[in-house]
Amino acid sequence: MDNDYPKILIVEDEKGIRLGTEKLLLRHKYFVDTAENGKEGIEKALENNFDIALIDLKMPDIDGLDVLKTIKTEKPNTVCFIVTAYASYETAIEATRLGAFNYILKPFTPEDLIHQIEKGWKQRKLLLEAEELRKEREKNLLAIAHEKSRLNTIIESISSGVLLINTECKVVYFNRACLQKLQLTKIEIEDYILDKLPTDIKNFVDKIFAEKQLDKSYTTEVEILPNNELIIDATCSPVPHPDGSFAGVVIVLKNITGLKKIEQLKSQFVSMVAHELKTPMAAVLGYLDILIDTKMQIPFEKRIEYLSRSELRLKGALELVNDLLDISRMELNTKMREIADVSLKDLVINAAEVQDLEISKKGITLEINIPDDLPMLRIDMEEGKKIVNNLVSNAVKYNKIDGKIFISAATRNNHIEFIVEDTGIGMRESDKKKLFQQFFRAKNKYTRSISGTGLGLSIVKSLVEANHGNIYVDSEFEKGTKFTILFPYK
Amino acid sequence: MQLSNRVKRILIVDDDIDLLEQNKVLLESKGVEVITAETAEEGIEKFNEYQPDAAIIDLIMEEHDSGFVLCHRLKKTEKGKNIPVFILTSATYETGFKFSATTAEEQKWIKCDGLINKPVVIEDLVSKINKYYDVIN
Repeated sequence: MDNDYPKILIVEDEKGIRLGTEKLLLRHKYFVDTAENGKEGIEKALENNFDIALIDLKMPDIDGLDVLKTIKTEKPNTVCFIVTAYASYETAIEATRLGAFNYILKPFTPEDLIHQIEKGWKQRKLLLEAEELRKEREKNLLAIAHEKSRLNTIIESISSGVLLINTECKVVYFNRACLQKLQLTKIEIEDYILDKLPTDIKNFVDKIFAEKQLDKSYTTEVEILPNNELIIDATCSPVPHPDGSFAGVVIVLKNITGLKKIEQLKSQFVSMVAHELKTPMAAVLGYLDILIDTKMQIPFEKRIEYLSRSELRLKGALELVNDLLDISRMELNTKMREIADVSLKDLVINAAEVQDLEISKKGITLEINIPDDLPMLRIDMEEGKKIVNNLVSNAVKYNKIDGKIFISAATRNNHIEFIVEDTGIGMRESDKKKLFQQFFRAKNKYTRSISGTGLGLSIVKSLVEANHGNIYVDSEFEKGTKFTILFPYK
Repeated sequence: MQLSNRVKRILIVDDDIDLLEQNKVLLESKGVEVITAETAEEGIEKFNEYQPDAAIIDLIMEEHDSGFVLCHRLKKTEKGKNIPVFILTSATYETGFKFSATTAEEQKWIKCDGLINKPVVIEDLVSKINKYYDVIN
């Protein structure tokens, strides 16, 4: 085993001593190699990994000290002895300075030499061990450095702001996201940050400092930019030292502006629904109050009129509830969309049949121009029905007496173009923009007498888009409206 | 409660034809002539034509502030200055959009003589109109 018996290099120009030493060492089962001059010595020492080198001080080509110097530079863990008959104090110091382990004086006894080599061998083992430890430590440091940079990268990458402050309220750590969340141009390590924080956050930090309870976090919402342009959610949590004592506060800042907007839209929606439902109810209740009141002398025809109006308003409310259920179903995605081959022509004929009574009542002329070889739509049947029914019913509802409706479809590039055009009341430019908004209804002298929930077209738009189509509107006030839908097809 | 005998004719402006009809019938039962209009524009026309002794105007018609605007226009006329003009609203309940017309500051902007909550309680309305004329006397 290499470990049990050292590999030794003898660098010696005197053949007698060289062979004698070699023989002695071989007897002790050491591995031995020899070099007969300085040059060969250096070559062999650098090529192999010797545990110990015995270097003659005086050699004809290269001085022993130079050999020592080279070996120690290149192989610092090789234990070197300088062997010489010409001992002098100066060379001894010089040899030690260059890294020689010891000095062996010629002539030497075998015991002397073996004793020295044993000592050198121990030294060699210590050196190797130290080297091993050093490498290990370097590896650990590298891992730690790596871990730290990885953690840094992660914290830098997250979209939430992270700000760590110590008990003196100075910044210990922060990531870039903090700057945007707090709308600060600069934060620096060691900055006293408390005064730069929004009051609500500052108060919680103060509270945590006062309580020093490690399990108590506080969360607050802060409007950073006015008009709800930037709202953040800030969570302040105490941070412990490894020994469990209180070290500081970490503040995590999340942008919740979008969330807040959705929340706001939701409550706006709810209040609009409430309003839209309350209006017909109030109308019906008003009529009932009058009809029930015996003091009011309401003639028979008026009573019938009030009851029919009540019925109409309740029907409108029911229609609204149904539209709301449609929207909720769409938003919850509870319905499985079953994409199938659907004939647009069938949908149109069906929708026309539903409207038949109204069409003839108003004296409307309906013209349908859909080629029989029009490709099938790849959409959900139920949703397709709703889209077409809605557009056709609007074309009837908002049409004039003796008006016209043109319904056509054709392929155009990779799309099926479906057009529903009427000669009705049309709409103003300003109303057109809001047409697909929930609860939007154009208000003018024509629409007043037409009932509607203000949800139909917003539902149509959602359904068209859910089936990968697009809807456009073209309209002129008092002239008519034209809806165009483009559905993709294979 | 009887309506003040100074009130012979009332104008109601509301875009909900059913509420319009109901308030008309209720006020007529108090022995007063009722003129109705369904839009702010029609409201100003009828006002000029019939010169009513009181006006009740729905707040939200074509626009969210149609009622305010109409009020403003009525109160600028010679007749308008001398009759009670009320705004009819349920906005305070529905939209969280709260307002009143009681403070001086508000009266600078909202040119009306009071708010009437929907649904209309006819006795309250009558008492408000009467009060207006009592104060003038």
